[in-house]
Amino acid sequence: MSDHKPRKADEKKMPKAFGWMAEYQDENSLLAAARKVRDSGYTKTDAFTPFPVHGIDEALGIKPTILPFIVLCAGLTGLTTALLMQWWMNGVDYKYIISGKPMGITPASIPVAFELTILFSAFTSFLGMIALNQLPKFSNPVFTNPRFDRATNDRFFLYVEASDKYYNRESVKLLLGGTSPDSLDEVLEDITPSSLPRPIILAGLLLVLAGLIPAMIILNMRAGYSTAPRLHVFFDMDFQPKKKAQQTTTVFADGRTMRPQVKGTIARGQLEEQDPFYLGYDPSKLSVVDRDTTVLLVSAQTPADAGPATASQDGATASQDGAVKPADSAKPADAAKPDAGMTAAPAANAAPQLPWIDKLPMDATEENMKLGRIKFETYCSACHGYAGNGDGLVHKRADALAQGYWLPPTSLHIDRVRNQPVGQIFHTITKGQGKMGSYASALSPKERWAIVLYVRALQRSRNANIDDVPVEMRSKLDAQVVAGTP
Amino acid sequence: MNLNYDKASIELPETWRAKAPIFVSVGLICLVLGACCCFMASTSDGTNAQGFKVLTHSYLTNFVYILSFTLGALFFVLVQFLTRAGWSTSIRRLAEILMMILPYIAVLFIPVIVLLFVGSSALYEWNAADIHSSVIKVKAEFFLTKEFFTIRSVIYFALWIMTATWFFRMSRAQDETGDIELSLTRQKWSGPLIMVFALSVSFATFDWVMSIDADWYSTIYGVYLFSASMMGFFALMIVLSVLLQNSGKMQKLITVEHFHDMGKFLFGFVMFWSYIAFSQLILYWYANIPEETEWYRVRLYNNWWYLSYGLIAIHFAIPFLFLMSRHVRRNRTALTVGAIWVLCAHWLDMTYLIMPNVPNAAGCEFFPFVGHLLGGIGMVCIFAALFILRASGIPLVAMRDPRLPEAMTYANPIL
Repeated sequence: MSDHKPRKADEKKMPKAFGWMAEYQDENSLLAAARKVRDSGYTKTDAFTPFPVHGIDEALGIKPTILPFIVLCAGLTGLTTALLMQWWMNGVDYKYIISGKPMGITPASIPVAFELTILFSAFTSFLGMIALNQLPKFSNPVFTNPRFDRATNDRFFLYVEASDKYYNRESVKLLLGGTSPDSLDEVLEDITPSSLPRPIILAGLLLVLAGLIPAMIILNMRAGYSTAPRLHVFFDMDFQPKKKAQQTTTVFADGRTMRPQVKGTIARGQLEEQDPFYLGYDPSKLSVVDRDTTVLLVSAQTPADAGPATASQDGATASQDGAVKPADSAKPADAAKPDAGMTAAPAANAAPQLPWIDKLPMDATEENMKLGRIKFETYCSACHGYAGNGDGLVHKRADALAQGYWLPPTSLHIDRVRNQPVGQIFHTITKGQGKMGSYASALSPKERWAIVLYVRALQRSRNANIDDVPVEMRSKLDAQVVAGTP
Repeated sequence: MNLNYDKASIELPETWRAKAPIFVSVGLICLVLGACCCFMASTSDGTNAQGFKVLTHSYLTNFVYILSFTLGALFFVLVQFLTRAGWSTSIRRLAEILMMILPYIAVLFIPVIVLLFVGSSALYEWNAADIHSSVIKVKAEFFLTKEFFTIRSVIYFALWIMTATWFFRMSRAQDETGDIELSLTRQKWSGPLIMVFALSVSFATFDWVMSIDADWYSTIYGVYLFSASMMGFFALMIVLSVLLQNSGKMQKLITVEHFHDMGKFLFGFVMFWSYIAFSQLILYWYANIPEETEWYRVRLYNNWWYLSYGLIAIHFAIPFLFLMSRHVRRNRTALTVGAIWVLCAHWLDMTYLIMPNVPNAAGCEFFPFVGHLLGGIGMVCIFAALFILRASGIPLVAMRDPRLPEAMTYANPIL
């Protein structure tokens, strides 16, 4: 198809001819005509049909496209890229074992190689098709003929372009005329004026000017100032009859909008913050360890004296100051000696110093012991070992690798752990320590306490004496000792 | 469109009919010789037990090999009606004849059933009196019993044979009447029947082939065998069409466009097989669970590895690259070469599926493998004889099918 370039003004009167277009009633006449035109040696031809016509490519003499070869090359590029990428990433640059699989090219690389092959091929065939067809084309000279509209409906058109090497106006007319077309028209340049009508230009200008108005208003506002109150478009949304957190109110005597907890109620999640069963320590004894923080925390929870209803920010501060006193006087003796109520671990241990509880909050029943054992062997034994010696499989493997940065798991039988109160062991399971992560998501508090119980049993097993054996069992033990001794 | 072809040009060549007895005798000789070769497998206990195992596995392999063509043909016929395809009308009768071999194929399955009822566990371990594997024990309690297995096998064959016969009868009736209703009926029923086909083929594959290693399981196994069957079927169709044309038949009815399209299907199913085979591999490779990898362990090590890895080239890379070009698919000679290659690859694939299950890699010792190969040749000869028997006296084209003109005029667009 020839280039449709804008003509100069003096050429406008004689529309340029782009070629001849013949119209047919059915696809068979079109095919016959196309073959005839092809056999006459014309190559710059095109056919327009309402539906794809089998064999039209051959009839028009269209040569096979080279697109498949381009796509093949792109596909091979994609394949190579994918394989090289995976080989480099996982085999050379960042050797990392993923679920014990070999590094570099593995069967797992094939899907990626497959995907990239497809991706490259698909993009190339789509973009290659666009490029080879010289798309997008917004106009074609054949559009000037009103009859051409029926090309999308029920008519078949054959178009011979004037840019063809062998094009001769008269001979092409004769040739197409000989194929008994319904109509035969010369494809002429569109000579209707191409300039926009004046009203449209005016309207466009007005629109551009109108578009500047908001910008002008904003500029004006930024430069000047106004004393008028701010415009509230949605007044009832800007000013709602409600109180926000930390605001004051006249509704309650103490002037607070945030209401203190009613005595005897427990909020959701509150137990987890207050009950030693969930914490491993008793928060009410926190003052023993950290007086300053405790004073602050307690004062925040103690209801203030019913102050005036018009409590202002100053008033709130005052009531806070007042609340310090009862807390202060409650535990003066304990506060003086922070270590008093604690059987805390040595200072070398980086664990937090908290008022650990000493007594298991569950009974040492057979059932709990079994639960503790099962959970210990599932979650703990991998590192700490089945006997708690700190020699689990993970440790053995890491030790065998001898990479140098492995920190061995703690043996549960060293004095430091043995001397820890049960609450601290529970806390370690809950929060993790050092390299050990938190097990709170994997184990319920009951299961964690059961593990503590089992750990205690393990520890006792290394340091048992005859008093630990029930009286009725002792004779049995004696019998075994006698039998075992030569 | 003038469809009054010379009647002789759409009948089986006379020379072919004369060859049927030769095929049968050559086939039987090959089968007997092959069976003898199978018994030359090395044994550790001095008995023929190992040789018998090779023989039964080899028989199953070759049985599945020829079965796959008929199943492919049945699916092809069903799917042509399901999609109301016009292009394939001139070659559809060949597929219809192939699917009508199914009743004879069913007879060839009887030895397997007999094997079960004489109590042999040479082929199916689950038929043993004392099963060692606890997994198989569970499966052998209800599902893998010889009675239930036989009932299921009969059901599969009954479904396939009834479908094939019904469609074939309508096709033949149309030869006489040209009634368009016969086409419409087949179109209506092809959908439900294709679902029945899919399920029955999948289960038949589980029963007959997968259960030789009843410890192992793969839910994609039926699809694997289906993809291989379709690939084999299209290769066979190409070879068959070329042979017929070389004998001076169907020359105008099977055009280059038909070869092009069958080539496309062949190419597509080569790819599909690779996709399915790889899908099965990567799941087991990645999960790396002992009970699942055992199947691959015997195939990727223990002497079978060269076939298993070789299939990547033989069954995928070479036919894939060879058939990729349009010029190859439109060239009768080149396409035939590709089709014959694929037929061989398909046989090797069936061998890869079944033969490594003989313990100690006995199937790839020299004489047993030659025996297996002879058995394959024998089975194919018998298959050829069955085709000739089935095709005799029947026009090779559905001459009065209303879609035949479409098949004769359509053309692939030039890409």
